[in-house]
Amino acid sequence: MIQSVEKQYNLLNIVDTYKVILTNGEILFVPHNEANRHYQEILEWVENGGVIVDNGA
Amino acid sequence: MAITRLGPNQDITAAKIAGTINFKNLIINGDMSIDQRNSGSSITPTNGQYGVDRWQNAVNVSSKYSIQQVSDAPTGFVYSNKVTSLSAYSIGAGELAGLRQYVEGYNITKLDWGTSDAQTVTLSFWVKSSLTGDFGVTVGNDNGRTYGALYNISSADTWEKKSVTIEGDTSGTWLTTNGKGISLVFALSTGSAFLATADSWNASTSYGVTGQTQILATNSATWQVTGVQLEADTSASDFEFLPFDVNLQRCMRYYFNHYTPDDNGLYGLFTAHTSSAGRMPYRFVVPMRDAPTVSSSSASGFTWLGNNTAGNPSVIGSESLNKYSCTVNLTGSFTQGYSYWLAGSTSTELRFDAEL
Repeated sequence: MIQSVEKQYNLLNIVDTYKVILTNGEILFVPHNEANRHYQEILEWVENGGVIVDNGA
Repeated sequence: MAITRLGPNQDITAAKIAGTINFKNLIINGDMSIDQRNSGSSITPTNGQYGVDRWQNAVNVSSKYSIQQVSDAPTGFVYSNKVTSLSAYSIGAGELAGLRQYVEGYNITKLDWGTSDAQTVTLSFWVKSSLTGDFGVTVGNDNGRTYGALYNISSADTWEKKSVTIEGDTSGTWLTTNGKGISLVFALSTGSAFLATADSWNASTSYGVTGQTQILATNSATWQVTGVQLEADTSASDFEFLPFDVNLQRCMRYYFNHYTPDDNGLYGLFTAHTSSAGRMPYRFVVPMRDAPTVSSSSASGFTWLGNNTAGNPSVIGSESLNKYSCTVNLTGSFTQGYSYWLAGSTSTELRFDAEL
């Protein structure tokens, strides 16, 4: 279960990854890629009201 | 070993090619021998969690069973995947529990499913349970097509080989990309909302079969499986054993756990681009199915060494992920512009997950 999602900026200041913290405390770094099952879970989480945190580059 | 040279008019007989490998099995790790995540430890799975490699738990009930790679298998095999029911649970209509493997679409192109040329497949496996009766297994596409089948276990606590032959589906959409091609599910318990009719293609997304034994309804019931093979044929052939290294590399397309077998094992070299941040280019052992998710054991378990200093990173992250490589990001106290060695111990893990 996702607890929070935060945008990650790479060296080119592009968001290509998301830092996901699960309710069990596990931390995942998830690519911005629709073929990735965890990214699909982020999309579903957002659809259900989750808000992705953007702390900037 | 005697070598027989064939004459110009002699055919290679079936006996001579028996035992050769032709990658007929669409299932990966069907012998349950690779367990990168748990190394034989038992887990009580949550939805989507993996036990042995490639075998996912499709479950929306909590703490109803444990699953474990065990060294109990029929002759010729070493391991099986063992489920143990943790209670006598009556499954609800919208609930399910099953053991699933997704076959990647690239690997089912030859089946021609969804067309009039759809090929017949045969599923075979060894199974053992403390229960007897009919049990359910499904083959589907997670998108409105499911074939349901019942197999019968006649003797409790005895290994039995089963096979199910399925006429290829001439309907539906079956992906032939790096997405989900076929979903194979061994049902543990399935609510009425997810039951398919046996021995036919159903226009539904189902994970169990009407009439099946609900394994989780019996406390301490056990169910084990190994030797799972899905092949394009009208009958089952012997299980195709792959060399261990080949089996492992096939699994690594979907999941890779980089651990070090001893202390101070090398993970890679990184450069400090600021005094607090380092970036380490990281190339995967085999190309992955697609860009993976990265996770690690506690960052403080890793060690960086260089410039006559050493320390533990406070954070390990990742970016720029693709199916070939990524950047591993480290937070710590470095000297800008210097290079460092990232080492681990027997308890550190860097995990890459590109499962379906």
